[in-house]
Amino acid sequence: MLENLASFGGALAGFLTPEALFATLWATFVGICVGMMPGLTATLGVALMTTLTFRMAAGDAILILICMYVGAIYGGSRSAILLNMPGTPASAATTLDGFPLARSGQAGHAMATATSGSVLGSLIGMICLAIFAPWLAEFALDFGAYEFFWLAVFGIVISGHLTALDDPLKGWIAGFLGLLVAMVGQEGIHAYERFSFGNSDLAGGIGLLPALVGAFGFAEILSVMKNRPYRVVADAVDSVIPKVREVLSYWRTIIRSGLIGTTMGLVPGVGEDMGAWVSYAAARRASKERKKFGKGSLEGLMSAETGNSAAVPGAIIPVLTLAVPGSAPAAVLLAAMYIHGVRPGPLIMIEFPSFVFEVVAMILLASLAILLYGILLTKPLLRVLAVPREKLMPVVFVLCTVGSFAIASRTFDIWVMLAFGLIGFVLREMKYPMAPLVLGIVLGDILDKSLRRGLVLSDGDPAPFFTRPISLVLWLAVAVTIAMSIPVVRAAVTRGVGSAMHALGVRKKQEANE
Amino acid sequence: MPRADFITGLALIALGVGALMQSLAMPRFADLGVNPYTVPGLVPGLLGAIIAGLGGVLTLRAAGNGGWRMARAETQTPDRAERGREWRRLLITLALTVGYAGGLVGSIPFPLATGLFMLLFILLFTPDEQWKTIPLWRTLVVAVVIAGATATIVTLLFERLFLVRLP
Repeated sequence: MLENLASFGGALAGFLTPEALFATLWATFVGICVGMMPGLTATLGVALMTTLTFRMAAGDAILILICMYVGAIYGGSRSAILLNMPGTPASAATTLDGFPLARSGQAGHAMATATSGSVLGSLIGMICLAIFAPWLAEFALDFGAYEFFWLAVFGIVISGHLTALDDPLKGWIAGFLGLLVAMVGQEGIHAYERFSFGNSDLAGGIGLLPALVGAFGFAEILSVMKNRPYRVVADAVDSVIPKVREVLSYWRTIIRSGLIGTTMGLVPGVGEDMGAWVSYAAARRASKERKKFGKGSLEGLMSAETGNSAAVPGAIIPVLTLAVPGSAPAAVLLAAMYIHGVRPGPLIMIEFPSFVFEVVAMILLASLAILLYGILLTKPLLRVLAVPREKLMPVVFVLCTVGSFAIASRTFDIWVMLAFGLIGFVLREMKYPMAPLVLGIVLGDILDKSLRRGLVLSDGDPAPFFTRPISLVLWLAVAVTIAMSIPVVRAAVTRGVGSAMHALGVRKKQEANE
Repeated sequence: MPRADFITGLALIALGVGALMQSLAMPRFADLGVNPYTVPGLVPGLLGAIIAGLGGVLTLRAAGNGGWRMARAETQTPDRAERGREWRRLLITLALTVGYAGGLVGSIPFPLATGLFMLLFILLFTPDEQWKTIPLWRTLVVAVVIAGATATIVTLLFERLFLVRLP
């Protein structure tokens, strides 16, 4: 423990230079602006920033990306409170109480609550990252091809299920489409060009970043321009400074939401929006003022913001230890780490022992930056919301075009961005979630190599895929998730559990009478 | 959206079957003594089959909800005029963005392409009420200034500061 603390202290000291602090401030600022604007998401922000920073030193670039990520998730709360439109999907739960508070003239108070929730959520997630990442990395050393195969399948199934709760089938379709996209290009064992149809650009594979910039950037531009323009419907006239005593009165909600948010972040491809929704639901169940939820409850707002911000470090834990992203922006972060020569995965504590604690220090700096901006710059920053969409969206599209081209200098990547933008737009209009698609593109290579390597190791015997302890747990989780989303099975299980509980209750009553 | 789901389901079946057939046609390298469990078509073939299966489930479910009646109107749109305006905005955006990224960029100098794209985008999406309330010359000057500034700043920022090659 002391050794880890020393590593963290050393990492933090390394970032206390004017250059790193300046980078923290401007990247978090840009992140907040990106998060505030409906149509610009954290994923797009991190993806565009990756294309801008890929020539920088690894430490500087990852610091900028993490500040962008933390800032964007926090920034989403501004538009959720003032426009009743979540700036990022992660802030959807924030609108439920944030907007009613703003309508009642307490927009500043709501934003102060969101600031404190976001800062504390990030800090709780950060502590969990510092504690669990080294432990999980050590545990992951036991993972072989069989376990990584099931981890990839589990990621797709659980992400598809949780990001499309009303219709998991569409989530799974998105996930498997992502896996199929990842199959395009030269495969890693025999260097055979799959689905390239003789095209040398396709043989190089579909780049993750152009695909993401298309699916999260161009698709959003199409959505924003298709809909009516948004209007600022409330203004912050009251104080935006968080009140310490009031914040402390919600300590139970903050700790609970922080832990739930971190846990939801850990689940592959689920991310910040589920972190917020699950924290919000748990806070409502436990609250004494549950009737106020949805009508302007500070506790509800606090839980949603703590939950989504805690999910950020939570989503980075599997990135570092398993090379599996916990959310869509974390998938971009994973790609950026590869670009900069960092190889996340079970060997991270052996190959890059100080890197985990450098990431912890980066999150701390980003959290302090959002606190600073939340206190000092909330009101001036709100002017960003007044920029008309017809002036903002073309700038964003120019950045999408240049960003897609920048990494590999291939015009083909611009076409990939356009194609994925169109596909993403159509899928979104038809209620398909984007996170499983992204996760599929990232996990495709792991799934492909792990299945084939596993079969070679077992000489074609599928048994180890089902009998090794970790594999067993993972495939059972996959099977239960799929089974429970079939209405007939779910109804039968619910009935069975209900009657078993009833029988148990009757028996206990009889025993008590005797 | 049963009709859209029905069509998507059929498209997914076609995609899945296509991927499966392509995978089966991939080489097995048996003459090179390659382990049969490492053949390149194994995973894409499985994924193709799964996607075709999921597409089948989607099709059947949509058909059960009446999605097979292709000619039937999907939903009664409450505001047909607004729907028309939505389509118009979407098509203009598509034309401008695809025209810029797929046509202008790479054909003419990047700052010029970006300036033209910005100018057209701003002018075509300026709200009607602004044309009525603000003098024409002012709207035009503002659009030209923003377009020129964006083209210059993006070019300088990427090329000089971030040392990134532009298309």
